[in-house]
Amino acid sequence: MNGGLEMWLFAIALGTSMLGGLLGMASGIFIVPILTMFGGIDLHTAIGASLISVIACSCASAAPFLKDKLTNIRLAILLETATTFGALCGVFLAGLIATQYLYVIFALILLLSAQQMAARRKESPRPLNQGMEYSVQRLPLGMTLMYGAGLISALLGIGSGVLKIPAMDTALRLPIKVSSATSNFMIGVTAAASAGAYFARGDILTPVAAPVALGSVVGAVLGARILMKLPNEKLRMMFVCILVILSVQMMLAAFGINLIKAAP
Amino acid sequence: MGTLLHYGTLLASAVIASGLALALGFAAPGMRVATVGLLLIILLPVVRVGVMLMFFLRAGDYKFGAVAALVLSIILLSFFLGAP
Repeated sequence: MNGGLEMWLFAIALGTSMLGGLLGMASGIFIVPILTMFGGIDLHTAIGASLISVIACSCASAAPFLKDKLTNIRLAILLETATTFGALCGVFLAGLIATQYLYVIFALILLLSAQQMAARRKESPRPLNQGMEYSVQRLPLGMTLMYGAGLISALLGIGSGVLKIPAMDTALRLPIKVSSATSNFMIGVTAAASAGAYFARGDILTPVAAPVALGSVVGAVLGARILMKLPNEKLRMMFVCILVILSVQMMLAAFGINLIKAAP
Repeated sequence: MGTLLHYGTLLASAVIASGLALALGFAAPGMRVATVGLLLIILLPVVRVGVMLMFFLRAGDYKFGAVAALVLSIILLSFFLGAP
């Protein structure tokens, strides 16, 4: 084997994980399109590697959240019943759905993420103090959205923040700081449920997943250290554009058209 | 819990890194070492749920202990059902 592909995978994972930290989203949503379109890697292999990256990022960036005591452990474990059950169903669906449709679903999720990033989350009007009281509302709706998030996560190999965030902001009405910490907590567990199944199925290929895992750990740690500031408006709009472009590409890939794939 | 994740992530990364380095330098066994590292990464969050289960049980919170046990069993079910 040559080290070129490994270095490339490592670099991609490092970059996307840092960006993920910066933008408050998981790296998977960038990793899967980049690996399939630029690397010509099989979609299922890319999804397997991406799940590993999602777990690695979640573990590597959990420590500061835990210190803040903002993770609501009881709420997280309750919502995890929905996300892991969703992941269980998603793993099954992933084996049944034709690759073409996976590309279409991925394109739609990318568009949804772009729209969400363009709209920007509303900060809660009240300042949040440590140990502040907040009440959890509309739990059934929240659980349903979490089930969907788990399903999509297992199907596409992403953290599914795109569904978890509205579930916690809009349905459960949690303060943003609490929901980010709780979300980080859940993403790793959900991804582990599906990654285990992908592993058992042989869809996690070490030569691809190992460099991605290393890059993700390094990227997530660096991202947490360096990029603490919120992205400015221009940067945010740039990523809205990138997400839309990736979405168009994934949609084209569904129909077998790949404009940017490097020669194998 | 934070320490568990911190050292767990470090350990898994070290195993993967050494496996990759071996694979680049020599041959076959390296990739197997890296695969073990990947398994470690997958198991980290599962261990985390296990620690939560013990935490709830020790606190006498059997209701949430049962919820944690349910999550754990869904994850394990997914592992076993994933195998063809």
